[in-house]
Amino acid sequence: MKPAEKEEESVYKRVVLKNASPYQYMKICLVLEDESTRLSAVELKLFIISGLRNLYGEVGAALNFDLLKYDEDTLTAFLRVTSRGLVKLWSSLTLLGSYQNQACAFRVLQVSSFLLSLTGNSRDLQLD
Amino acid sequence: MSVDVSPTPQSLLVCDRSSFLDQKNRLNSQVEQLRFNYKVSLLLPECGSAPSHLDSVLNSFSSFCVIRNLPIYELLDRHFLESAVYHGSVYGLSYGTRMDEDNCVALMPNGRLSLSLDKDSYELLGLQGKPSRFNHRTRIRFVVSIDLTDSNMAPGGQGYLRLLTGLKSRLQLQTDFLLSHHPGGIPSLQPLLSRFEWSEHKPKVVHRSLTDLACPVLTSDQWSCDPHSFLEWLGAVDADISSENSSSTFLSSWVCPEPQRPVSQALSVSVCGLLLPQDLHRLTQALRGYLEQPRLESWASMTVHGFVDSVVSWGENEHRVHRGGHNFYTLLMFHNHMYHLHLASEAKDSCPP
Amino acid sequence: MVRVKSRYLLCEVNVSDRSSLLLLDDRAVAATVKSVVARTHGDYGAAMCTIGFSVKYLNAHTGIVLLRFPKRCYRLLWSALPFITSIETRGQKIPCFLNCLHVGGTIRTCQKFLIRYNTQQLHRMLPRCKNEEEKQQIRKAILSCSLTIGKREAFEDEAESEEDEDE
Repeated sequence: MKPAEKEEESVYKRVVLKNASPYQYMKICLVLEDESTRLSAVELKLFIISGLRNLYGEVGAALNFDLLKYDEDTLTAFLRVTSRGLVKLWSSLTLLGSYQNQACAFRVLQVSSFLLSLTGNSRDLQLD
Repeated sequence: MSVDVSPTPQSLLVCDRSSFLDQKNRLNSQVEQLRFNYKVSLLLPECGSAPSHLDSVLNSFSSFCVIRNLPIYELLDRHFLESAVYHGSVYGLSYGTRMDEDNCVALMPNGRLSLSLDKDSYELLGLQGKPSRFNHRTRIRFVVSIDLTDSNMAPGGQGYLRLLTGLKSRLQLQTDFLLSHHPGGIPSLQPLLSRFEWSEHKPKVVHRSLTDLACPVLTSDQWSCDPHSFLEWLGAVDADISSENSSSTFLSSWVCPEPQRPVSQALSVSVCGLLLPQDLHRLTQALRGYLEQPRLESWASMTVHGFVDSVVSWGENEHRVHRGGHNFYTLLMFHNHMYHLHLASEAKDSCPP
Repeated sequence: MVRVKSRYLLCEVNVSDRSSLLLLDDRAVAATVKSVVARTHGDYGAAMCTIGFSVKYLNAHTGIVLLRFPKRCYRLLWSALPFITSIETRGQKIPCFLNCLHVGGTIRTCQKFLIRYNTQQLHRMLPRCKNEEEKQQIRKAILSCSLTIGKREAFEDEAESEEDEDE
């Protein structure tokens, strides 16, 4: 029995990863003054890049981020950005104030180190 | 002052690898530590429709109820304590309150009442508590934790009366409340429910069939795929994100982690609501049974999300919402009884068990 | 009391036509640096550049510039300097680039470095004189000058221009 037990024990392994997530995920929503305006995914990404360029210049505009998913009806998008670029991206989203001469604002709904937690947010729970 | 624009945000991920056959595996104790579960999602590769025994488990999750505008002192009601709290375990959580803004209340299965209060409410309540671990410089948040099964807290006792007057005449805390009971279910909560407006809810089950999925190759003996990329992939499947990208795609360069292989069909099932750890345990056992039959892909995954706004995270450790407040675990089970468990929480929350 | 800490960047302005150096003034250099920082680092960089940034010293003969940056962000601002391709002054555009020679915490260390650097340059270039006469000329010129930094540099300037001729 003993050798078998040892084998079983050797199976167990535990790894703790602290601050190791390479990416951060954001769930954002664009609010426009004129609600009938439609944006395509490409336009949205260009718009965000223009915000980065305004705030952080050409170096900021070179920041890599991915538009993972975009819903044209609700103007809600999932973004992925490297952990080091999160503050840059977030701050430039905050300071984006106008789209084609109309007032707009980005609402950052959720930020997480895991894409999984964006799909399981208990604040979305609606009970009636 | 200048601000560093490139700090690394904090996260914590614990990866465990063990076997169900191992006598010392701590899976059950670990899983039970997350008390307030909001959502469970399963991913079954190479599966067209869920087998009947799995389906029956999914549909037999205990229902829970929502009480509108429940004055918190009603939880100290003698009949309620006797019928529910002293016998079995009550899961109660304030609903619609946000940890970072509002006062939050949780009633834990071991009979503890935990209140997370802002400074004003705490001073109004006049009961001893502890300043929150996450206060920064100024103490603005406090946690009061009371063991209702303590002899001092028995109805009529000194501590009981103090708490009752505190909640009844001074603080007057009222919130919507989610409540569930194990094993009695709704009937054992009846003494409390009968006096308020309440509604019963069944956890909502959603089935989703996926076809032509790119899927990383997973093996049981080692971390064949980096945990972060695996969780990312799982999240992408859950959120229905397309992986047909390349490094030069403008919108997104996310791809399925290598090595990968195509899976012709997969089933994703999610259940939402206030889920009890006992039900999740049954689900785990059902999944083990499912994996015992020979299949093309020899694994299945189960992800459980905790409530963001629960007062406690793992065990009785204090929880907070700083940037998301996520706490979840993913259980990746294999045909040969091995499992990988990934537990994630926001950094500075205490480490998962 | 706590000192406001700065970093001083000792740079040389490299131009193709040395006579155009004389057109430079502090304000033109400062404006160029500011605009290039605004271009590469946007509003954030431009804001960093408003407080604690100045052109401390400019030698129009040798093209030596001393830039002062706040210590907390000098790396960010420094990274923008290679993107300078021209300086606009008095209606003229002078194509040039900035070459950073030294980064110091005080003006004094920068000055010390500059003296050492120029001496080195002189030692390097003296052997390349075409004939003995030239050498003698330079020696005489150095000995006859009073030891104010400006003049010394002017002579070294000569030496440098000789180098230009050699090449």
